[in-house]
Amino acid sequence: MHISTNPWVWIAAFLTLAIYSFLYKDNPFYKFAEHLFMGLAIGYGAVILWYTSIIPRLWDPLAHGTSPMRFFLFIPIFIGLLTLGIFSKKFTWVIKYPLAIYIGASAGLSVPVTLEAYIFKQVEGTILTRAMVNNWFLGISNAIMFVGVLTTLVYFFFSKEHEGFLGKSARIGIIFIMVAFGASFGYTVMARISLLIGRMQFLLHDWLGIIK
Amino acid sequence: MNFWKRLIRIDRRWIFLLVWIAVTIPLLKPIGLPVNVTPPAKNLYNFVDKQKPADKAVLLIFDFDPSTMPELLPMGVAIMRHCFAKKIPIILYGGLYAPGAGMVEMALREVKSDFPDIKYGRDYVFLGYVPGISLVILSIGESIKGTFRNDYYGNSLDTLPLISKVDNYDGIGVAIDLSGSSLPQLWASYAYQRYGCRIGVGTTAVSAAQYYPWLQTGQFVGMLGGLKGAAEYEKLINMNKIPTGRMAATIGMDAQSIVHLLIVVFIILGNIGYFVIRKAERKG
Amino acid sequence: MMVLLLLSMSFEAMDTPNDGGQSITIIGRDIPTDVKKILVFRRTEKDTVYKQVGFFSLLSMKYTDNDSIKDGEKYFYRLGVVFPESTFYYNITKPAVSTAQWFNRTRAAVLMYLILFSALVLLFIQLAKRNPEGLFIRKIPALDAIDEAIGRSTELGKPTFFVHGLMGITDAGTLAAITLLRRVAKKIAEYDTPLLVTNFDPIVMTASQETVKQAYTEAGRPDAYNEKNIIYLTYEQFGYTAGVDGLMAREKPGAIFLQGYFFAESLILAETGHAVGAIQIAGTTATVQLPFFVAACDYVLIGEELLAASSYIGREPVMLGSVKGSDWGKAVLIFIIGAYVTLGTIAGILMSTGRHTLMHIFEKLVSVF
Repeated sequence: MHISTNPWVWIAAFLTLAIYSFLYKDNPFYKFAEHLFMGLAIGYGAVILWYTSIIPRLWDPLAHGTSPMRFFLFIPIFIGLLTLGIFSKKFTWVIKYPLAIYIGASAGLSVPVTLEAYIFKQVEGTILTRAMVNNWFLGISNAIMFVGVLTTLVYFFFSKEHEGFLGKSARIGIIFIMVAFGASFGYTVMARISLLIGRMQFLLHDWLGIIK
Repeated sequence: MNFWKRLIRIDRRWIFLLVWIAVTIPLLKPIGLPVNVTPPAKNLYNFVDKQKPADKAVLLIFDFDPSTMPELLPMGVAIMRHCFAKKIPIILYGGLYAPGAGMVEMALREVKSDFPDIKYGRDYVFLGYVPGISLVILSIGESIKGTFRNDYYGNSLDTLPLISKVDNYDGIGVAIDLSGSSLPQLWASYAYQRYGCRIGVGTTAVSAAQYYPWLQTGQFVGMLGGLKGAAEYEKLINMNKIPTGRMAATIGMDAQSIVHLLIVVFIILGNIGYFVIRKAERKG
Repeated sequence: MMVLLLLSMSFEAMDTPNDGGQSITIIGRDIPTDVKKILVFRRTEKDTVYKQVGFFSLLSMKYTDNDSIKDGEKYFYRLGVVFPESTFYYNITKPAVSTAQWFNRTRAAVLMYLILFSALVLLFIQLAKRNPEGLFIRKIPALDAIDEAIGRSTELGKPTFFVHGLMGITDAGTLAAITLLRRVAKKIAEYDTPLLVTNFDPIVMTASQETVKQAYTEAGRPDAYNEKNIIYLTYEQFGYTAGVDGLMAREKPGAIFLQGYFFAESLILAETGHAVGAIQIAGTTATVQLPFFVAACDYVLIGEELLAASSYIGREPVMLGSVKGSDWGKAVLIFIIGAYVTLGTIAGILMSTGRHTLMHIFEKLVSVF
């Protein structure tokens, strides 16, 4: 057993146990750890933003740069400052301009790639290819996948009542959806247990030194 | 009947205690259950392996924070060991969110001592955080120097030989994103669709299920899903005689398996109890 | 032998297609397998000496040169092919000139689908503006459960909770949740049951207050509206969760509506609601959280069902038109997938009998994606 002499490990161990104490009952130790975490996350984020964004991208070029083009930086600074209009009832309307630029630019960037990556590539993957003919297992798997994709799409078709053939297809679709949810749930259980295992490894190895 | 009623209404703290015991005992007394390597992990390993003959670099992105560290940090460590051992140039990127840089530092601290001949600037470079998310991904496609200017330690990128050779996705053979959110989809959408850079993913088990369609279409070359995925990569580097260090993910797999068995037992008991009580209520 | 190998090899330098310029691509063909590496040298028309610019990729069989390339200028290339015992130099006689293309032809299919989809959505929005009742949307089963849930809450003499998700007012799921809130609030006003609405975002809280006030007025009970029942808790994820859980544990609602975009707190909220014995109706566009709601709640609006439900209730032209437009966009995709799979299956069967023509056609059609 090699108990750690690093004070930071002890602090981390104390905070870990404080958070886990909530599983028994809410208590002041848990509240302290939670509030410390919230404050730290916000403070850390603010400092990182200051030193990686504001100082090198705005302050340094303006204060220490030599290029005359650097004064164009005042345009994005001004547009960014308009978002502060949200705090004033009289000037809330000014926030529309930076929002419009942001949403317009984001949509322009993301719509074509989203269509290509999320829809077209997935459609291409659903369509059977040459390999299926030679490999019966792959062929059956892809046939099941094809049925699953179509029936799931039919389930989310709202323009017609789910009756007759459409209704039966939608019922098959919901079965595929539930199977997918089951797989996702199982994976999530694994993820949550992994986080507990990680913390236990920290306590038993890094803090107490009882495991290798 | 009373037994089933009491079981259904059991205080959840007993469940927590049982789960805690099921996790702790295998960690204290390892069983050594085998870890089998699945094709997505093998594909990622092989793709990284072939970067050496192709003379390309690996971009390893740490897009996670301490909340998902137990699953993703072992993946990062294993991939770094792989690259250092095979002398594959690796660009470590602190990710599209601020806390990622701290994760890179933790991984480097664990790995560096096993590879004393690895030289910073020639064999690996550490890039820090730059805000912008999808804009950063696109900007890397134009120029890494233009996007970051300096590395995490403040050195100008002009002084680093690796960045002089690899200034955009053309010099990167595969970008592996370690993330617990939907950022790998962004990397596939922008870096792969626009610049043709191949993407690998290491993800938490929560997100793994939703990435299988992307694996099937080839948008991801390979995937490590959760702690098991990390254990698989550790096994692969072990099989190839690369120094593995502590193998934190493999150590955790015994506990993972035992807890999963316990949860299966809970589910079976819960369902039996539900149907028994429902049948009794219908009769009575 | 070496001469034969060299004669079989060929290289071509060309403008990189479908790009924004300043890039030249060199493609190699029939490169012998024993080549160790290929060095790429370049000069302009004015230069007399070649300078090395990079290494040719033996994996992808190409090299993309975008190192200080100027559009419109002629570039000459020479390749140094390194064998184990010798190096041979290959001059590409025809110079390459880089130009920018206005249109990326590999994205033609994306543009066509974008135009089609946008046209469908805009068409249905216009139709919805003219005659909202004329556009059919099937009833979502979970909507019947709203009345049942509120009725049960009233019988038990317990309040009803409406818990908003964690996104802001610009999120489609949040807007749909607010439309649903109006329907819930109107029913509650008729039954005279207490309603509590919890909010993560202050702007969503303001919108919720207006919505509930309007719903109470429509139900003829403006006096029963209490602004203090629509509360803002905190902008912190688990702080919000702890706050809502605490309210559920104390107030013990009879019905809980969990509507909007949720993250990791979804199961914590649903579990607490189940523990207090409430009937729960959830709706979210967060697909990762849906399994938890399905497991812990009585009724779930899965993904787009939330948006369709709010269109069914509210009949707001933009949302209604969008749902209808995306429905027919889906129908186009179903048709494309069905047609391609049928063609591919027939082509595969014919290929196994030695007839490859249809398979070549099929693969060309697939390459459109």
